[in-house]
Amino acid sequence: MTRRNRLPRIAVVGGLALTMALSLSACGGDDSASGGDKIHVLVYGDATNKVEKQLVATFNKSSKVKVVLDTIPGADYQAKLQTIINSKQAPDVFFNWGGGSIKPFVDAGLLLPLDDFIAKDPGLKDNFLPSVFNSTVVDGKAYGIPMRGTQPVLMFNNSKVLKENGLTAPKTWDELLNAVKVLKSKGVTPIALGGGDKWPTLMWFEYLFDRVAGPELVQSAVKGDKDVWATDGSRDALNKLKELIDAGAFGTNFDSVKFTDGGSPTLLATGKAAFELMGSWEYSTLQDSQPDFAKSDLDYSAFPSIDGGKGAPTDIVGNTNNFYSVLKKTKHPEEVAEFLKLMYSDQFVKAQLSIGNLPTTTNTEAQLDTAASPDYAHFQYDLVKNAPSFQLSWDQAYPQTAGTALTTAVQQFFNGGIDVDGFIKAMQGLPTS
Amino acid sequence: MTTTATAVPAASKGVQRSGRRPGRSHEGASRPGFAWAAPAAVFFGLFAIVPLILVVVLSFATWDGLSDPEFTGLDNWKKLFDDPIMIKSLWLSLLLTFLGVAVQTPLSILLGVWAAGHQRNRAVLSAIYFIPLLLSAAAVSVLWRAVLDPNFGVPAHAKWLFGDGNLFGNQSTAIGVLIFVSTWQFTPLHTLIYQGAARSVPRVLYQAAEIDGAGRYRQFFHITLPQLRNSVVTSMILMVVGGLTTFDTVLILTQGGPGTDTTISAYYMYQKAFKTFDYGTASAIGVMLVLVATVISLVMVRLTGYDKMNSTMEGM
Repeated sequence: MTRRNRLPRIAVVGGLALTMALSLSACGGDDSASGGDKIHVLVYGDATNKVEKQLVATFNKSSKVKVVLDTIPGADYQAKLQTIINSKQAPDVFFNWGGGSIKPFVDAGLLLPLDDFIAKDPGLKDNFLPSVFNSTVVDGKAYGIPMRGTQPVLMFNNSKVLKENGLTAPKTWDELLNAVKVLKSKGVTPIALGGGDKWPTLMWFEYLFDRVAGPELVQSAVKGDKDVWATDGSRDALNKLKELIDAGAFGTNFDSVKFTDGGSPTLLATGKAAFELMGSWEYSTLQDSQPDFAKSDLDYSAFPSIDGGKGAPTDIVGNTNNFYSVLKKTKHPEEVAEFLKLMYSDQFVKAQLSIGNLPTTTNTEAQLDTAASPDYAHFQYDLVKNAPSFQLSWDQAYPQTAGTALTTAVQQFFNGGIDVDGFIKAMQGLPTS
Repeated sequence: MTTTATAVPAASKGVQRSGRRPGRSHEGASRPGFAWAAPAAVFFGLFAIVPLILVVVLSFATWDGLSDPEFTGLDNWKKLFDDPIMIKSLWLSLLLTFLGVAVQTPLSILLGVWAAGHQRNRAVLSAIYFIPLLLSAAAVSVLWRAVLDPNFGVPAHAKWLFGDGNLFGNQSTAIGVLIFVSTWQFTPLHTLIYQGAARSVPRVLYQAAEIDGAGRYRQFFHITLPQLRNSVVTSMILMVVGGLTTFDTVLILTQGGPGTDTTISAYYMYQKAFKTFDYGTASAIGVMLVLVATVISLVMVRLTGYDKMNSTMEGM
């Protein structure tokens, strides 16, 4: 190799490396959502997107300002939303779960209260079921419009197993305890539980607290009243739950079972378990994975009533719906309002019903017969319509910051890691704002 | 680290070599110019050093990702040292790391030495054995989660061994599964290191030992093992750093459960950052992990004399 002056080479190599690094770090366009004549709508990416696409196409036909649909697939939605919502990439309108999932954004002054929209078009409130609409009210102001289907939590059962053991879907707590005893003696796990996911376990707390202590307890707890956790109602609910766990209702290995990998629904479908408490999506999940079972032996009922409890037997818990919320800094509030009006249109209701979702508009009822499974749609709709209280899932009602501590405590209570007092202490330690 | 372009082994103290490259003269020995390291240095600076500095800064602030970060001094650090879950997570990290090293090292030394031999079918068996190395940790975790399902996996068919199959519901069995899965996945990598090292042990040493009448066991313990010393250190440092930063297996297999019984520091950091949006505390945990890993690595390097870079070549 001949010797040359080395300086240029250092400069060249170094310069080259620098340009490469810089070009790499400057990725991502800066197509800021709030600029231009477009409305960016951010949605959780899944099968329902096809309905959202149809609606956007309908809207764009007659509007000068075009809507662009952006999707974030998978469970990272909330984390990714949090990272962009206060940046240039923020959308104009975004999907959320209401309640605690938007409270931090409201507190940070990022969201537009929809009261002005509603004043101009009362339909934006009146066309939705009140129990659903209310779960998006933060500090007395409405911040969202329902935009998908409702997901109440129901008791699913394997009717074949029940029949074989001379049982029916339990209407009362005592009937449930009796069913547990009978099934256990026959070697069937009474209730399938995906404890590995933790949130299916939480559903049991939600119903027990509603039935025993009444829906007000959790509502005031979420508002910041930590003392309610130590009341008698709360202790009664926890003791009732403990009674069920100790009776062997869930078997012994529920913490190793998951819903998300198909474990607990398969237990139900194969008859190894008789019941599962799950959100209404259980139906479509089983239609996909166990079509024969879903057609013939899958049955469902409301959660049993509990004697002497404060909550009505018609109360329900679950995810009331998903919602569209609007950012304060959107440049096209009028067009956004127009777009939101599509959420109670007949086209929207038909499209959602056809893919198995159950919209929560007042005009849904008339079209229930067009649903993918009409009986199931009717059952759910009546349940939601007649519910005096529809308690939002605790992990959605509480702010995001409480999620991990909440589900950890729930799991520990079920596996005996903490007792009633321990659970109460954990709940009192949850952040509420 | 001196490099040599010739076949003549170079000792570590500036020996004049043939085939000098142009480079900055330094006590007569030539070294490649810094320009060669520039691209790597720029990348390393941008993607490792700069973020690390930012994380250190963030660890003294509270930030939820929405509003601007607020400096709160040592608050995060004080909170961390009072947080029982944090203390527990550090112990769990160290325990998992220690168990990983204790299980994988003997296993991979034995396999590596065996794979360095000349038995029949050795090449085929080795090739099959290295397959886990090719899979991503996430895929491996999903696979084992399915295999270990209590109702539909192996435990359902081997009740005498697994009981009710509640592997993910007890701390001890959950940790056992984590160790098993990471051993299953990473032993091949360390085996590869030992295989290479065992192959480079000079044959003459064994021949001499045989003449002296040493059997296979004595050969292994008195020649092979001492000659593998540097590889043991290399492999252990890899295991320790890997063990302390284990994340994907916990994320997919246990989610830190049951309760917080397998919440190791790296997973706790993830929870704090992306589940509860407490980036300040998460950054403090990150900095703590960096410090712990650095200290452990330094101690290991010191204790083993690895930093002296003694050559183990014959006749050196």
